[in-house]
Parts: sequence; structure tokens; C-alpha cells
Amino acid sequence: MKARALLGKLWSWFWIVLGVLYFFTPLLATFDFSLRARKGMLTFLAYEHIFKDVNFWRTFGFSLQMGFYTIIVSIVLVVPTAYWIRLRLPQLRPLAEFISMLPFVVPAIVLVFGLIRVFSGPPFHLTNTFTGTNALLVAGYVVLTLPYTYRAVDTGLAAIDVRSLTEAAQSLGAGWGTILLRIVFPNLRTAILSGAFLTLATVIGEYTMASFIVGIKAFGPYMSLVGQNKTYESSSLAIISFLLTWAFMGLIQLFNRGRAEGQLAGAR
Amino acid sequence: MYASRWSRVVALVLLTTLMLVACTPKATPSAGDDLISKAKAEGMLTVIALPHDWCNYGEAIETFKTKYGLQVNELNPDAGSADEIEAIKANKDNKGPQAPDVIDVGFGFGPQLVEEGLVMPYKVSTWDTIPADVKHPDGYWYGDYYGVLAFEVNKDVVTNVPQDWADLLKPEYKGQVALAGDPRASAQAQMSVYAAALANGGSLDNVEPGLEFFKRLNEAGNFVPVIAKQATVAKGETPIIMRWDYNALADKEALAGNPEIEVVIPKTGVIAGVYIQAISAYAPHPNAAKLWMEFLYSDEGQLIWLKGGCHPIRYNDLAARGVIPDEIASKLPPAEAYAKAVFPSIEQINNAKKIIAEKWMDVVGADVK
Amino acid sequence: MPFHRSPRDARQARPALPSSWKNWLGVLPFLLFTALFIVLPSVYLLVGAFRDNAGHFTLKNFADLFTPSILSAYWVTIRISLVTAVLGGLFGFMLAYAVTIGGLPRWMRSALLTFSGVASNFAGVPLAFAFIATLGRTGMVTVLLKHWLGLNLYDRGFNLYSFWGLSVTYLYFQFPLMVLIITPALEGLRREWREAALNLGASSLEYWRRVALPILLPSILGAMILLFGNAFGAYATALSLTGGFINLVTIVIGSQIKGDILYNPGLGYALAMGMVFVMAGAMGIYFLLRRRSERWLRR
Repeated sequence: MKARALLGKLWSWFWIVLGVLYFFTPLLATFDFSLRARKGMLTFLAYEHIFKDVNFWRTFGFSLQMGFYTIIVSIVLVVPTAYWIRLRLPQLRPLAEFISMLPFVVPAIVLVFGLIRVFSGPPFHLTNTFTGTNALLVAGYVVLTLPYTYRAVDTGLAAIDVRSLTEAAQSLGAGWGTILLRIVFPNLRTAILSGAFLTLATVIGEYTMASFIVGIKAFGPYMSLVGQNKTYESSSLAIISFLLTWAFMGLIQLFNRGRAEGQLAGAR
Repeated sequence: MYASRWSRVVALVLLTTLMLVACTPKATPSAGDDLISKAKAEGMLTVIALPHDWCNYGEAIETFKTKYGLQVNELNPDAGSADEIEAIKANKDNKGPQAPDVIDVGFGFGPQLVEEGLVMPYKVSTWDTIPADVKHPDGYWYGDYYGVLAFEVNKDVVTNVPQDWADLLKPEYKGQVALAGDPRASAQAQMSVYAAALANGGSLDNVEPGLEFFKRLNEAGNFVPVIAKQATVAKGETPIIMRWDYNALADKEALAGNPEIEVVIPKTGVIAGVYIQAISAYAPHPNAAKLWMEFLYSDEGQLIWLKGGCHPIRYNDLAARGVIPDEIASKLPPAEAYAKAVFPSIEQINNAKKIIAEKWMDVVGADVK
Repeated sequence: MPFHRSPRDARQARPALPSSWKNWLGVLPFLLFTALFIVLPSVYLLVGAFRDNAGHFTLKNFADLFTPSILSAYWVTIRISLVTAVLGGLFGFMLAYAVTIGGLPRWMRSALLTFSGVASNFAGVPLAFAFIATLGRTGMVTVLLKHWLGLNLYDRGFNLYSFWGLSVTYLYFQFPLMVLIITPALEGLRREWREAALNLGASSLEYWRRVALPILLPSILGAMILLFGNAFGAYATALSLTGGFINLVTIVIGSQIKGDILYNPGLGYALAMGMVFVMAGAMGIYFLLRRRSERWLRR
């Protein structure tokens, strides 16, 4: 038994080491390049320039905000829907999956112009205020991240017995709200987190929609502006945004860790 | 009775028409305080596709902001000409900050702008000093700056700097030459092919030799099939690229010797590219747009562009009046290099576009099985 | 609300549904959102596909889809999406397995999940440059291999700026995506099942073949279709790395609607509609496969 466990662990380590090599080497190469802002020596000058740039903090904060709104709207929209479809309308599953894949094939550039056309004129007039404009951006992001969010939630739902859980809860007198909040959401925690990570990373780096709706206020366009003509800063910016986004996800993960990790279904 | 009533109506109509015509503001010849105050009332200008290091637009925008106290809303700095046109079309009913007021597009797009009713006419106060062949007679669009196709060379990697197109085929440059864009989508890349044509027996009407040249470059193994940027030049991955001279000069300045960059205007095959400015017909802030134009075409604005390495469209006028400061003039390549520059006409550009776009993949495309 | 008397009934009988229109209320928000923010703007796409540059109705854009260069563009895009979906799926699965069931320290799971979140979106210009800096002619790995092993990658025929080079680059965001999607499914595998199987005399391999993989197969397929779509729609990375040289559909669309040279948005939109059809086809195959695999499950 012990030998098998050891072999099993070796097998796992093998894949992880391979993974680390594959993922970190390009990052290392970028990092190495970003240190060469001065000829013939290694220096953090490129990083200094970025950190001192007011626009960096402003745009990162803006996109972070948009990311959080997107996560909330996505989850509120997708989780109850996916749950309901599994429970009551299984014939709708293929349609929902197809819809969730549409954002892949409608190019972002077409989507953004379509959104602007539809929502800037009557009767919506969303773009006449900054709040409305930001709302339009969030809506666009929810669409863009729909494939990932839906897939993550759907996979999570597949792993739990939706019907039994619901009926058990109902027989104990729970209403729909209680079921959703206290049964479904907690059981989907990993799935929701996965979706949230993907959404956050997507929104922070997103370029096309942001550039036409809010211009250089968002982080994606800011990165492009820096990348246009500042070689070493664009590499250092890539590393910085990678690390910062990773840090924020770590925070979300920590926040999640605070609660009891027990899942009703799927204890290993 | 009847006749006289009629004649009164006709007279009234004629009079009204005359008055309307007389009172229609023709393009007023000066950026007077009137325009400035109207622009300030609008408070904002929305621009698109203006990277800060392209022709020193960064300084132009900042100067405009401080001088007139207007906000400038910058959309998509990476946009191509088609993006800008789409942005106008998509924002027809939109008076919000997504609708561009002014655009800066390639020369070949001029006729389309007018045909599709996308722009409004405006003649800046310095209109007469803009050469006639780069502006629309009624003021719908007008050239803003031009540059020539140059080689940008990383001298730390390439010790023997190529001086002409034929040099690029030499075996010492194996795996070192690249384009700065996709010839089917980027004016810079397309003009590179066009320039190569001029240097290899072609002409403004015959662009095929340019495609042949790149085919030979690819077969010799000198061509690197990646879209080059400042970063890839600095890294040494693509130490020789073909760029607008102003972009190459901007790269040189940004890199500040790390590595050393040399900007070479080729001895043969020197092609000039013109860009044009226009005000959107649906501009939410038309007066701010007009003020922006007045600013760009004033001596001050034109010199800001020159600082960025671009030749402003009124260059000859500025030079003739001797208003170009020496520090700026010294940073540019010598004027003789520009003497051989050829300016293709709109039809020639549009014809060349079609041929290059169609045939590029056959000539150089990776044969992916 | 009718309750069931026994657990068996719950699974066999279809629960008597209340007036079925009420069921649709539950999905109304989603459908409304979809209609407003996906369908409506896409109408822009659909209408545009039937217009030529002068604004008149035309079917030429769709006819143009069948020119050899565009058909080959579709074929190359499908191939790269398939390759990276399969490879991404396999390796991503192994990574996810390693940190969930594989017995590695707990913190590695969080680290991998959060890292995957970021890496799955590390695409476009920064990713392309990262790989150029690693595997390009002057890339770190290329140079190191030359120095340490005397191995010149490029002389041996390797080229980052090729189909396989682009695939290797794509995998950078495919692996993490697979990890993120499949981890909840892996965590849904209950230990009791494995123990029960082993108790009944199955070997570890048989457990996987007969129990775990069949259960996981629908999720794995679902994840792979997502990877396929992800690669299919990729634009910025391909543009930066092999822009004008490998013909992908997204790049052709880009050159028609975004560039300085060509300007035929109608064709661009028609190309996008073509992508919708391909995606629909891929999903059709996926549904078929999934239905077969779900026969193993009795939910």
C-alpha cells in the first residue's frame, strides 16, 4: 500500500514539475528582459517607471472594480439559471450551452460595436452617463466571460446530486431562496471560484471592449499604450500585472478559506 | 391680385434663401475667440487611434489640454483606419464619450469618407498652405503629416548596417529581417512591399516586383515571419525592420542607446505615406473638433509633429519661412534623403492594396499542411 | 409541491411539474440578458453579413467564404483548435489530478488554481513576446540549449513562427483553463467510490477505467469543447506571433474589419457567421459524445 501511495505521489510530482517548467520559463524570459532597461546591467528601472506612473494605479483600480462587478453579475445570473435548468428544464441544456459558447464566435470587435449601436441610442441611452457607460462595459464583460462561468458552474453542478439535495431541503421546509443561498452556492464554491478567477483575469486584461467604450481609462488600453513604445516597461508591466492579478486571486481564495471547507457532496 | 400675391411669395422665398445662404457660416478663416469659447462650452474632445509616441501625439494632446482647458477623451490607441470608420458608424446616434470627434486615417480612405457621408467639411485658417494634392477641395479631409519608409536597425546586433533594399538579401542578414505588420492589415507593412517594388524594377503602378522581392527574401531565409515591434528589435529577434521613419526615430529615442538604433532611408525605393485628418459628421463636440484642427495646423501644432519625426504637411511652408528650430531639424535624417521620395496617388495606393492583399499569402504565407 | 415517498421514486418517476410556464420564469433573467446583450448586438453581425460596402443586400460575402484561401483558413483554425484542445485537455487533466487526488500538499492546489486563473488569460502580445523571448532565435532556451548541449533548435528545423510554435504558445492558456474547469469535477469523485472499487478487487487502473473516467467523461468533454472554442476565437496571440503568415479565420476577419488596407466588413461578418456554424457543428459532435458518456451515469 505504501509503495503504491509513493508511486502515486511520484506520478503527481512528475506532472507538476513539468507544468512548472512550462509555465515559468516564458515568465522568466520576460522577467529577464525587463531587467535590462539599462545597457549591460540588471536593473529594476522599468519597474520603477511603472510604479511611479499614476495612470498605472488608476487604470488597474478601474479594471479591478469592473472585474468585481462582472463577477457578481455573472454569478447571480448564471448559478440560479444553471441550477434551474438542471432541475426543471433539462431539455434547455443544449440551448444554454450553445448560448454560452456564442461569445467565442462573435468577435469582441463586432460585439462592442453592436453593443454601442444598440444601447447608445433610444430607448436605452446608456452611454450618456459614466455610470451607464460602465454598466454597458460590465454587461459586455459578463457576455465575454459567459463561456467560462457557465462551464465552471455546470461542471460543478454535475458533481452534486441536484435533485436529491433540493428535495431534501424542500421536505425540510426550505423555500427557493434558502435553497439557493444555503445549499446550491456553498456546494458550488470551487466552481464559482474558478469562474471568478477566470472572470477577473479576463476583465483586467481585456482590450477591445474597453478601448472603444471607456478608452484609456481601463487597464487593457493602458497596457497597449505602454507597449506601443516602451519596450522594457511593457515587459515589466506584463510581469507586474501577472503578479498583481495572482495576488488578488490569492486574496479571494483566502477569504473563501475562512469558512468551513466542508462540502455536502464531494468530500474526498 | 393673384399674380401679385404669387410674386410676393416668390420674392419672400428668394429673399429667405438669399438670407440663409448669406448667413450660413462659411469656413471662417481664423481660430477666433468665438471658436475657442464655443469649444470650451462643449468641454470635451474625443479622439481615437492616437498612440502617444506616434508623431508625438502625446505632447500634442497635453498641450491642447493645458492651452484650452478642455478634456480629451482617448479611445483605442491601437485602432486601424477601419476601426476608426466603424467607430463613427456605430456611434451615429451616440452623443456620449464613445463617439470620436476627429479621425486620423490613411490617405486611401479619403474618397470613402466623403462617399459615405462620414465627415463634415472644415477649412482651417492655414488652409492655403496645405498642398493641393493632399486635400479635398471642399475641406472634407486634409493631409496632416507624411513620412517615408525606412529601415530600423539594431546596431548592437547588426554591425554592417544595410543601406538599400538589395543589401537585405545578403546572407549575413539571415533570419534578421521582418515587417512591422501584416501587409493585409497594416499600412506600414503594405508600403514596405510597395517600396520594395520601386527598388526592384517596379513602379507606382506595378507592385508585383515588391512581392517578388519578399518571396526571394523569404526563400533566402532572411525573412522572419513575425510582426516586429520595438521590443523584438531591442531583443535582437528582428534586428532589421521596415517602418515609417517617424516610428523608427521614436523607437530610437525611446530606447536611448539600449540598444543603439540606426534609422536608414534606403538609397532606392523611397516611398512616402500620407495620413489625413477629418472631423466626424456625427461629432458630439464639433467646435472642440474644429479647435483641435486649428491647433494641429497652426505652426505650433505642426512643429510638435515635427518633433516626433513626422514631416508635417505644411513642412515646405514652415521651412520657407524659416520657423523650424535647429534642434528639431538636426534630429531628422538629412533632407537629401527625402528628395527622392515618391508620393503615390489615391488610386495607385488602392490598386496596390488590392494586389498585395490578394497575393501576399501565396508569396510568403506559411504553407501549413 | 408533490413530494416523493421513497428515494427510488425520485429517480425513476418524472416529478409532476406544476404549471410548466412557471418553470420558464426561472430562466427568464438569463434569456432576457442573452436577448439584450448577445442576440441584439449580434443582429448587427447578421445584417452586416448580407451587406456589401455600398450597403446593398448581397449574398456575395457568403459565396466568398468558399474561396480556397478562406476554406484553408477555416481548416487551419479548426486544426489548431483541435490540437490544443486535446493536448491542453490531457495535460491540464493530469495537472488537476496531481493537486486534487494525487496526494500533493494542500497549498499546491490553491497555488495552481489561482495561477491558472491568471495564466488562462495571459494571452496576446505579452504571451507572444514571452515565447519569442524563450523560444525565438535569440530566445533564452534556444541560446541555453546552444551553449549547454550544442543543440541548435533552428538548424534542426524547429521554428516558433509556425503551426506548432503557435500551438505551443496557445497551450499556455489552454492548460490552465482545463485545470480550472475540471478541478470541481475531480473533487466530486468521492473517496468511497474508490475504496469500494478496491474492496471489490479492482486494481487502481480498473477503478479509473470502469468508475472514475466514465463519471468524469462528460465533464472532460465539456471542458475540451470549451478549450476548442477558446482556441478557435483566439486573435491577439496569433496576430502577434504569426500574424501575416499563418492564415487563421480570426486574422482574416481582423484584416477585413480592423485594418488599414482591406475594408470589407460584410465579408468579415460573413466569416464570423461561418465561425458560428463551425462552433455549432463542434457542439453537435460534443452533444453526441456526451449523451453516450452520460449513459454511464444514472442521475
